[in-house]
Amino acid sequence: MSLSLSRRLALMYAASGFLVFSLFGLVMHRFFQHQLDLHQRSELATRLEVNEPLIRKTAEPARWQIVCAKLDAIFPADGAARFWVLSANPQYRYGGDPPAGIEALGGDGYGTLQLPGRQRPLRALVHSIAANGDRPEIRLVAAIDQRPYFDTLHALTFVLVATSIAGMLLVAGLGYWIARIGLRPLTRLSDEARSLSPSKLSQRLPGEPLPPEIAELAASFNGALDRLESAYQQLEGFNADVAHELRTPLTNLIGLTQVALSRERSASELQEMMQSNLEELDRLRAIINDMLFLARADQGELARNRVSASLAQEVSKTVDFLEVVLDEAGVRVRVEGDAQIEVERALLGRAVNNLLLNAVQHSAQGSEVLASIARDQRGVRVSVSNPGPVIAAEQLERLFARFYRLDGARSGSRDNHGLGLAIVKAIAVMHGGQVFVSSDNGINTFGFTLA
Amino acid sequence: MKILIVEDEPKTADYLRRGLGEQGHVVDLAGDGHGGLHLALEVDYDVIVLDVMLPGIDGMAVLRALRERKQTPVIMLTARDRIDDRVQGLHAGADDYLVKPFSFLELLARLQALARRGRSQDAPQLRIGDLEIDLYARKAWRGGQRLDLTAKEFALLATLARRRGEILSKTVIAELVWDVNFDSDANVVEVAVKRLRSKLDEPFGTPLLHTIRGMGYVLELREARAP
Repeated sequence: MSLSLSRRLALMYAASGFLVFSLFGLVMHRFFQHQLDLHQRSELATRLEVNEPLIRKTAEPARWQIVCAKLDAIFPADGAARFWVLSANPQYRYGGDPPAGIEALGGDGYGTLQLPGRQRPLRALVHSIAANGDRPEIRLVAAIDQRPYFDTLHALTFVLVATSIAGMLLVAGLGYWIARIGLRPLTRLSDEARSLSPSKLSQRLPGEPLPPEIAELAASFNGALDRLESAYQQLEGFNADVAHELRTPLTNLIGLTQVALSRERSASELQEMMQSNLEELDRLRAIINDMLFLARADQGELARNRVSASLAQEVSKTVDFLEVVLDEAGVRVRVEGDAQIEVERALLGRAVNNLLLNAVQHSAQGSEVLASIARDQRGVRVSVSNPGPVIAAEQLERLFARFYRLDGARSGSRDNHGLGLAIVKAIAVMHGGQVFVSSDNGINTFGFTLA
Repeated sequence: MKILIVEDEPKTADYLRRGLGEQGHVVDLAGDGHGGLHLALEVDYDVIVLDVMLPGIDGMAVLRALRERKQTPVIMLTARDRIDDRVQGLHAGADDYLVKPFSFLELLARLQALARRGRSQDAPQLRIGDLEIDLYARKAWRGGQRLDLTAKEFALLATLARRRGEILSKTVIAELVWDVNFDSDANVVEVAVKRLRSKLDEPFGTPLLHTIRGMGYVLELREARAP
């Protein structure tokens, strides 16, 4: 199943929104966590620092009582902050029995302290003070409740998550809306495309008010339409040409037969008329056979009876067959190169025959035609070159089209109904190849490839 | 020859019967597959001309059924020029096939070829009027005078001489002499015949090589017409 383009874009916007908000939320969360931690530490440090000079100075038990009273004032018994003074001498202690976890805190520095009955551990700071007079070395432990810190962090997390989700949804929605607006020209284009009708082949999509990316699409679509139109016109032309080619012999046949039957005739007269008819019929047969052949190639039929053959030998055989015709035309043929490839020999012979005849027809007396066979990475190239007048570039590509003749004068000729090169093309296609043509430096080359 | 034609198209069947009959063959006709198969099995024919598209059972089925019992030579006629048809036909045991539209001359040539098959080799010497041909030495004389022929001209002469009195179409000649089995637009056969004629007939009074307009060529000795 394929999602619509705007949904797809909306989903992609949502995904990138999710990614950006998550990253942002994560960074913010870590940052606040760090800030709150610093805040806790500085609070602990302040509480210690406030009392530390007094405790440090105290060196006798009597004065310690004053310290204790002062500390009681600062740290209410059940408050959020607690304070202990640990000492080897019980006279110098404060904060009651130290909780079990206090030894696990270790030396000076920050740590956490779990008190029984409390949900969260306390944040603690340990600081040792060297012995002074009667007083032995003591350790101060300040601890504060972490709840406000966690509450703040939770509230913050909640806000971050909620903002992220809302932002993501907003981005997805906006994305969908943007996509809809952005893709509007595409919808318009597809409406235009839908209104194209086969009866108006010259109709094209408008490229003007479209954004460049879509205008490009419209342009390539129009290009396809151009090619389609020209193929269609060619096909229409082809049908007209076929009808025309068939009409001439048919007219002759009908007319001559009517004339023949319109009065009493001698056997020899009738015989002569029938012979003429037979010639026309044979012409019809040749055209129909060629058309059927081309139709088979059009339908994708491939050469089936392919056998490995030396192309030089096959080409020479056709040259040999055409010997008398070449001789009459005063044209020599030189065969150059060779390749071994699987071909349907009758088809190859026919293609080479047509190329050679084409070359001979357009060569002057005494010229040399070159039949060349060469192997390249994609297959084998068979080409026939003859010296001849330059063929215009726009004509070159049409030479292999059906019923296309370079010189209109040759139309209707008995030997040539304009399908010779089209048949070469069909044969190339049936062998998985194609045709090529070039006209340089007074040499015209027609050829085909075999794969 | 005794020939069976199995063809449902009345015009085709009619002209085949008439044409082959006039060539001196005895022709039976069947208009559908069942009748054709029945005749083919009951009567011994020299050749059967069998259309592929038939009412009742089609040509392929007739051929398969026939081949279970008999080896009578069969020429298939097909309207669809599909390689599949050919392969199928030849696999099913057809001896030859022709694609419509085919020429009557071509059918005649194929029939002669089938009839000739298995027969003994040609005599090494042929004689038509004052023309003598030695097929082994590849030499020809007329009125005792040696004809200076190229290899292809000799091959053309020998081909026509072996089938003296038989009209050979250009397509058949191209196939027999040059082993070319495609239709060429080139007038190779006309030119070759013209050249052969200039050596064979022109120096001598009576022509032997005749053009049958629209059909082809025949080599035969014709009685000189009264002026």
